[in-house]
Amino acid sequence: MSYAYLFKYIIIGDTGVGKSCLLLQFTDKRFQPVHDLTIGVEFGARMITIDGKQIKLQIWDTAGQESFRSITRSYYRGAAGALLVYDITRRDTFNHLTTWLEDARQHSNSNMVIMLIGNKSDLEARREVKKEEGEAFAREHGLIFMETSAKTAANVEEAFINTAKEIYQKIQDGVFDINNEANGIKIGPQHSPTNQGLNVGGSGGNQGGNCC
Amino acid sequence: MVMAMANHLSDGGDNPSLPGDSKTNGESHRETAMNGSAHDGFEAFNSLVKTDRYGFLGGNQYTNPEDEKRLPQEKLRKRETKWLDMFVNWDKWMSKRFKKVRERCRKGIPPSLRAKAWQYLSGSFFIAEQNQGLFQSYLSAPGDPKCIDDIHKDLDRQFPQHEMFLSKGGVGQEALFEVLKAYSLHRPEEGYCQAQAPIAALLLMHMPAEQAFWCLVAICDKYLMGYYSPGLEAIQLDGDILFGLLKKTSPSLHKHMRKQHIEPIMYMTEWFMCVYTRTLSWTIVLRLWDQFLCEGVKVMFRVGLVLVRVTLEDQLDQCPSFYETLEKLRMKQMPPELQDESFLFTESLRLSVTERDMQREHQKQVSRRKAAREAAEREKAEKAAGAQGSTVKQSKNKKKS
Repeated sequence: MSYAYLFKYIIIGDTGVGKSCLLLQFTDKRFQPVHDLTIGVEFGARMITIDGKQIKLQIWDTAGQESFRSITRSYYRGAAGALLVYDITRRDTFNHLTTWLEDARQHSNSNMVIMLIGNKSDLEARREVKKEEGEAFAREHGLIFMETSAKTAANVEEAFINTAKEIYQKIQDGVFDINNEANGIKIGPQHSPTNQGLNVGGSGGNQGGNCC
Repeated sequence: MVMAMANHLSDGGDNPSLPGDSKTNGESHRETAMNGSAHDGFEAFNSLVKTDRYGFLGGNQYTNPEDEKRLPQEKLRKRETKWLDMFVNWDKWMSKRFKKVRERCRKGIPPSLRAKAWQYLSGSFFIAEQNQGLFQSYLSAPGDPKCIDDIHKDLDRQFPQHEMFLSKGGVGQEALFEVLKAYSLHRPEEGYCQAQAPIAALLLMHMPAEQAFWCLVAICDKYLMGYYSPGLEAIQLDGDILFGLLKKTSPSLHKHMRKQHIEPIMYMTEWFMCVYTRTLSWTIVLRLWDQFLCEGVKVMFRVGLVLVRVTLEDQLDQCPSFYETLEKLRMKQMPPELQDESFLFTESLRLSVTERDMQREHQKQVSRRKAAREAAEREKAEKAAGAQGSTVKQSKNKKKS
């Protein structure tokens, strides 16, 4: 399937906050409570539509443990969007956000859109971080914010799609140089008439549905 | 308890009957009662799930009973006798007839003797003898709270599709906690690295916690030095070496990956840090480990070079961007060649890479990294000096005005 744009995302945050589960919920629409932990990096992709345009999201899911930080840094390069995830039931994962943010800002391009995500919103009884605190942190650092549940799928679509909308808006405003792939955006074959018929972006599209 | 589990997992050709054994179809796999956690209730507890001969219910590691090849009993017994003979004069064999030991490891260690052979090959058997009581003392120590917390979070994320590790708080997860906690106390400067957990789990499928711990120590000390240290320098260096060697074995693939800016750490981190335990089917993993513990890290490089070739060769037209290339390298779909358990090893020994090539590439990459580090430091120093210079100028200017 061809696309108008391809956006590269990266998912970051402490270990065990639900990064891989968010990705799986978004790409496969399912929740897998028991899964292998992420070592190094995992990948996922899905097609979405914004403003009538097909946009392919290519998502890099990283290992959260601190010792992997030096490796994770090399994945920031060329990301247009980042989902920075914490767990609302674990205060320490919220406390580490500043370090994550510093890392992200230092190693990515300055226009990268960052979405702050408070995950596990279904576990209200065990909540340690108030929603207002997340909102305040996001406001202070200029991030978009949402609480999600990878388990119930609440807000998961919105989190990924709203980030894409923000990136799309930045393209419309001319903030992103879309000809420079280092910005994490690639123009799809749909866009340039000379490439039509080559179907460059469709080779991975045999995995069914809207996932490619 | 763990030992009992390990014993039945390491059965060789003959399959010991277990309660609940399904013999109706004459296949070797068993049916196991899933030991669900309390809230899963009676239903889950009673549900019968089929495992392969190693205890896997699914995942990359699962071995399809239909694809399995078994050695004839007689051959297996002969091999066992040879190994038992080697154990008696182990030092002599290792110092005088290492090539023969290596050959026997390459053929595959008999499953019934694998646990002992691994501990002899790695030397952990002897380290454990000299350090009796230490493991127990680690268990009774409190441990670093951060490490303990991290380990706890990972216990149900190691081979969740293996019968030993699927139940929360079960014997497998408990033993895993003990091994990882003990290691974090044994090497406090390293603490706990998540990639160690699959290795500890593999060892626990074969031996009790204390033996698994010493084996892990030997592997981290003698085979994978620096792999789990903060910063992960060693794995990045080995990634560069692998890529350097790829230029020699598969120049066109090397060129393709270079063009798509694929860095080695994007695909080989998990391969190397977990010594392929999460990558290949279990029959192959075990044979790889037989060789790895005998010959060391070069086995990982050889296998890595073959894997890149098998996954990408003749597939480049399907890989227009690095995303497709990485998908292939991550082997979500196992290449058909890997169904044959000896393919990977036959090919890896046929590679045109000698030990000298590996050493040379190692030297080259070490120097390259050193030069890059020095250049970065120089630049930093120059910048700092420049900044200082400009502040001096500024203050002079201020004074003038």
